[in-house]
Amino acid sequence: MSVFDFASYAKFRWSDMVLIFRAAGLTLQITLISLAFGTLIGLLLGIVRCSKNQVLNKLPLLIMEPLRNSPLIVQLFLVYYGLPSLGIRMPAMTAALLTLSLNTSAFFAVLVHSSIIAVPRGQWESGYAIGFNKLQVYVYVIARQAIRLLIPQAITLYISQLQTSSLVSFVSLQDLTKAGQIVAQKTLLPFLIYAIVAAVYFALTYPLARVARYLEKRMGFTI
Amino acid sequence: MGYQLNFRVLSQYSDLFLSGIVLTGKISLGAMVISFILGIVLAIMRQSKNKIARRIAGLWVEVLRNTPFLIQLFFFYYGLPQFGIYVDALTVGIVALGINASAPNCEVIRSGLLAIKTGYYEASAALGFSKLQNFLFVVLPISLRLAFKPLTSNFVNLVLTSSVCYSITLMEIMGVAKTVSARSNRPFEIYLILLISYTLFTYAVSFIAKAIDKRIEIRL
Repeated sequence: MSVFDFASYAKFRWSDMVLIFRAAGLTLQITLISLAFGTLIGLLLGIVRCSKNQVLNKLPLLIMEPLRNSPLIVQLFLVYYGLPSLGIRMPAMTAALLTLSLNTSAFFAVLVHSSIIAVPRGQWESGYAIGFNKLQVYVYVIARQAIRLLIPQAITLYISQLQTSSLVSFVSLQDLTKAGQIVAQKTLLPFLIYAIVAAVYFALTYPLARVARYLEKRMGFTI
Repeated sequence: MGYQLNFRVLSQYSDLFLSGIVLTGKISLGAMVISFILGIVLAIMRQSKNKIARRIAGLWVEVLRNTPFLIQLFFFYYGLPQFGIYVDALTVGIVALGINASAPNCEVIRSGLLAIKTGYYEASAALGFSKLQNFLFVVLPISLRLAFKPLTSNFVNLVLTSSVCYSITLMEIMGVAKTVSARSNRPFEIYLILLISYTLFTYAVSFIAKAIDKRIEIRL
């Protein structure tokens, strides 16, 4: 069907649009939950990475490196199709959340680690010099400086994770991408439908991208 | 009795895996070339004095960065025939991936261009270079050398992203894995091997890239 066959556009009904918006809700839900868990786990991994213990600080790499250096889709299929052979069965939603959370945490840990080590040694020393203990130095001196470096990068990561969440459509979850596929097949207007779906993704993340750029300008500072 | 891991079953599919690796290589290399050239063009456009060129390049990058690759792929693969343009899956995969990766490449090359100090422009003007000569022989080589490391990490990302191309019927390594896991009923082993191979591949590339980068590194 040609794009210029305007009569065919009548096949696109409002109910299809509702389907797409609902699916956008699922995409948001999956993304937000997995980002929350990913951030927490990533924070933990990142702090362990900064440990002075040479063995301990290498341990997080064991899970971080495979997660960062392989496609998310392979990880997702390993969890969803592979783990059942070991007797670990989970619904698609759990598999998607688990994979996306772990994947996010690996990238987040790198950001945490690099932000913390970007704070110069002198800051630690002066923290100890005024009688703070290790935790106090972390909270009152290091964290506040590291977080300014971290936030813009974290937002950029969150944006790319929202895009990556489109891959959960491969494990039969009806997210924004899957809804697009369904509607595109039904209406036979793939060009229009995928443009609309792309626009919805764009609308979800572009404001965040602007915020990240603004923060980078305002908060980004060279220590 | 627990599940017995069996990797040996997979050896009978080695031909299939090999063809998958070759196709992944083809897609990735093709897309790399496209994304590299597009990246340079876009970076130049974003730096240009022409407002329209700047806007177009900016929009291009923003749209690509804020939409998923999967949707871009479907858009080209299923959408283009509506315009009467019928292209085979391989071409669509290569072009879509190349276009997708042009956005991060543009950013990296642009920051390379921005890092070049005015002294270089003055020096090449003093040598009697024209603006074009200055760009081709002085600015571009230096900024590409500066951008070398982030470019290689973009290319690694591109290879990882190429796995999504299996969704448009391309039998690259991911597509092969999907088929073999259905045939052999050994999904865990297959995806585990795939995960490890991708990781090792990435490591190998970044190791080589680091070695090359050390040789061509320049400080401005």
